[in-house]
Amino acid sequence: MHIPDGLMDPVVALIGWAEFTMVIGVTLFILRNRIKERDLPRVAVLSAGIFVAQMLNFPIGGGTTGHLIGGALFAIMAGPLLAMVGMTVILLIQALMFGDGGITALGLNALNMAIIAPLSGWGIYTMLNQISFGNRKSDASRTKSFWDSIPVACSAWASVFLAACACAAELSVSYAISGGRYGIAAPVSIPTVLGYHAVIGVGEAAITVGILAYINSVASKSPSRTSGDDKTAIRLGRTEPSKTIWAAVAILVVFALALPLYFVYASEGRDGLEQTMDNANVQEGSPVLTAPFSYGENYFAALFMGMVGFVVVALLCTGMMRLLGRGNSPE
Amino acid sequence: MIVAHVRGYRVKAEALDEHAQASWLHRIDPRAKLVGILGFVIVCALMTNSVLIFSSLVFSILFAALSQIPGKHLVKAYLGALPFILIASVSVFAFSGPERGLDMWGRTSACVVPLLVLASGTETYDLFSGLRRLHVPALITTLLMLTYKYLLLMSEELARMSVARRARGFRPAKSLLDRYGLSVLSYTAGMIFVRSSDRGERSYEGLRARGFRKEFPFWGGSRIDVPDISFMAVFLVLSTALAALQLGVVL
Amino acid sequence: MRALEIKSLTFSYDDGTLALKDLSLSVDQGEKVAIVGPNGAGKSTLLHLIAGFRTPFQGDVLVDGLRLELSTADDVRKRLGLLFQDPDDQVFMPTVEEDVAFGPRNLKLDDVEGRAMKAMRSTGTDRLAKRRPHRLSYGMKKRVAIAGILAMDPEILLLDEPTSGLDPKSRAELISFLKGMKRTMLIATHDLDAAAEIADRLVILNISPVAEGTMKELVSKKGLLEGAGLEIPQIAKLFESIRDIGYSVEWVPVTLDQAAAEFQRTVERERRRDRPNR
Repeated sequence: MHIPDGLMDPVVALIGWAEFTMVIGVTLFILRNRIKERDLPRVAVLSAGIFVAQMLNFPIGGGTTGHLIGGALFAIMAGPLLAMVGMTVILLIQALMFGDGGITALGLNALNMAIIAPLSGWGIYTMLNQISFGNRKSDASRTKSFWDSIPVACSAWASVFLAACACAAELSVSYAISGGRYGIAAPVSIPTVLGYHAVIGVGEAAITVGILAYINSVASKSPSRTSGDDKTAIRLGRTEPSKTIWAAVAILVVFALALPLYFVYASEGRDGLEQTMDNANVQEGSPVLTAPFSYGENYFAALFMGMVGFVVVALLCTGMMRLLGRGNSPE
Repeated sequence: MIVAHVRGYRVKAEALDEHAQASWLHRIDPRAKLVGILGFVIVCALMTNSVLIFSSLVFSILFAALSQIPGKHLVKAYLGALPFILIASVSVFAFSGPERGLDMWGRTSACVVPLLVLASGTETYDLFSGLRRLHVPALITTLLMLTYKYLLLMSEELARMSVARRARGFRPAKSLLDRYGLSVLSYTAGMIFVRSSDRGERSYEGLRARGFRKEFPFWGGSRIDVPDISFMAVFLVLSTALAALQLGVVL
Repeated sequence: MRALEIKSLTFSYDDGTLALKDLSLSVDQGEKVAIVGPNGAGKSTLLHLIAGFRTPFQGDVLVDGLRLELSTADDVRKRLGLLFQDPDDQVFMPTVEEDVAFGPRNLKLDDVEGRAMKAMRSTGTDRLAKRRPHRLSYGMKKRVAIAGILAMDPEILLLDEPTSGLDPKSRAELISFLKGMKRTMLIATHDLDAAAEIADRLVILNISPVAEGTMKELVSKKGLLEGAGLEIPQIAKLFESIRDIGYSVEWVPVTLDQAAAEFQRTVERERRRDRPNR
C-alpha cells in the first residue's frame, strides 16, 4: 500500500501531510516526558523487526502475494503512541532509502499505515480484550488459548482493512477533484483496493497471531532481564481496563480523519466528476461513469454509518461490562 | 547488508552505501541535497502537462546519469520501486486512456528517480544527520539510526535462517490455506524478533558505553560551501521554472 | 586513591538467580587484574555491573573514588572503557575513523580527530581508516573496537573475553599489545594462558571469589585451579610433565618468558648432574 509520488492529487497529499504532522506532533509531545531512554532500542528493534516482517511474502492463492503491514502488531506490543512513531520510522526508511513510497505521498502513507492501522488495531484489540470469550484466563497467565487470539486476529484484520479504506478514499477523491488527472476512479479503486486488502488482512491476522504466540511462549522461558519493570524485553504495552475509553477515542480519531477528505470531495469533487463525465463520453473505450457519482456518496455515507455504529457498539460493550462486572483484572 | 524484498525485488542496502563513496554527490552537504532534491520532487508531483512531465523525467534521468552512480544499481533500484508505479499507471491507462496512463507513469518515475539517486549518493548516517539538522525531531532521527543499524543485523539473521530452513527441505507456503507454511513464516518472524531483541539491548549498551545519550553527534563540519550552494541553486532554478510553466499552463 | 574498589558486592538477576556473591576486590593504578572462572561464573556480569549497566546491587563499587549509583552511572562510565565480547555490539559507524571518533565525540572531548588518529595508530588500524568495519575480519574488528575505547582515554579498561574468537596470530598480537600497555585493566577471561601473560594478579571467580594471587601462586596450590573448573596453563602442564618424567624442574613457570628461563636453568642443572666434577 505504499503510494508513490505523483499518484495523488496535491490537495489530497497536502491534507495527508497536515493530518499526519498534526497527529505525530501530538504523539511526540505526549511522549516527550513519558519515553525513557531504554525504550529507544526496544522501539528501534521492533521497527527493524516489522520492517523485515513486511518483506516476508505470503501467498494469497492464484499466484499473487501479499505483505504484512504490522501496524496492529506494533501497537499491541508497544502501545499506540510508540507504534505510531515506530511505523513512521519504518516508512521514512522505506521512502528515503528504497523509493518504496513517495515523499509527497509520505503524509498519506504515514496516515494510512502509521496512524490509522496502529490506532484502529490497538483500539479494537483493547476493546475486544475486555470481553470474555469462552474460558479465557486473565492476561497475567501466559498460556494463550484459541480464544485469546480472537482480539488479535480481529484487530489485525481491521487495521489492514481500515487502512485500505482510507487509501481507496484518497485515490477516489484524488480522481474526482482533479478531473481524472490524479488518482484512480472509484469504480476501480474501491473494489480492488478493499477486496485485495480484505484478503491480505486474513494473512496479516494469521501471522500477527503466530508471531505473538511465539513471542509469548519464548518469553515465558527467557532468562531474566536486567531491568525491573518489563516482563519481556519486547512487550511494552499495557492493557488495562481503563484504557477502554482511550481505545474508543483512538478509533473515533481514525474516523474523524476522514472528515477533511469528505469536505474536499463534497465541495470540489462533484464538479470534477461532472466534468469527468462529460469527458468520458468523448473518450474512447472507457466504461459508463454513472457509478462513481453514487459510489462516492455511498462510500462516505458508509464510513459515517460505520462511525455511528461503532460508537453505539462501544457504549453497549462498556455498559455490558459494568453490568456483568469485571472478573479478570490484569496485574 | 539489507536485502529488501520490495515487492519481490531484492535491493541490497549495503550496496547503497558503497556507491555513495564513489560519487561526487557524496561530498555535498546532506542538507543541500535534501532541500534541492526534495524540492524538485515536490514540483514534479505537481506536473499535469504531458510536455512538462516529459521534461521533468528527462531532467531526473540526466541527474541520475551525471551522478556517477553505477547505472546497473540504479536500474535495479528502480525495478524495485516499479510494481506500485505500474499498478497505478496501468489502471489509469485502462480507465482513462493511454495519454493519462503515460502521464501517470512519467510523473511517478520522474519523482522516484531523484530520490533513488539521493539515497545511493549519500551515506545513511549523513542522510539522517541532515534530516536532524533540518529540524526533524530528535526522537525520530535517533530511532532512524538505531533502526537502520538493527536492520543490518536482522537481515543477516533472516538470510541465515532462510538458508537453514531451505536446507531442511522447507518449501514456502502455497496459499493462505497452507497453515503449516504460514505458521513457519510467523515463527521465523517471531524468532527474529526475540533474537534481535537481545542483540539490540547489547548493542545499545555498546553505544551507552561510549557516551551515547539521547542523540547522535553530528559528523563533519556544518559549513555550507560553494558546491553545496550551487547544487541547491541548480535544483531550485529548475524547480521554479517547471512550477512557473505548470502554473502558466493551468491558468 | 585506588583505581577500583569493590566491597561485598552481591547481585542477582531479575528472576532471582544469584550472579555475584560477596565479592571484594581492589585494583591499584596501573595494575592489571584478570578475573578467571568457568562459564556462568559472573565475570561478564561483573564488568557490565562496574560499567553501570546492572542495577540495583548490594555492596559498594568505587571507581576512581566515585561511588557507583544509578545517578552517577554516566560519570563513572566516562572513566571506563568497556570492551564488549562481540565487537559487532560496539562498532557502529560506517567507517573505521568515524567509529573510533564516536566515543570522544559523544563525550565532547577536545581534539577528537587527534585522539582518534592516535588510537588508530596504536592499534595498527590507521590504514583501515576509510574502510567499512563490518567488512573487516573478526580480529581487525576487535582492534577497531579497542581503538574506539582507547580514543576516549579512560582511566580503567574493562575487557570482556578479549582473546575469544581470535585466530592464533591475532591472539598473540593482542596479548603482547595488552601486555605492553600501561593502563589499569580488569580482564574477564577463561583463557588462562593469556591471563598468565598479561595480568599481574588473578582472581578466581565462581559467583563468589574462590582465590586470589599471582598465577605462580595459584598454580603451586595443587588442585586449586582444577577445582574451580579451570585448566592450568599449557606451559605449566608441560613443565609438570617434564618434572614427572624425572628432570630437575625447580618451579613451574606460567609464561613463555619464564618457561624459557626455567628451561635454560633445568638444562644447566641436568648438565651439572651428568658431570658432577665440573
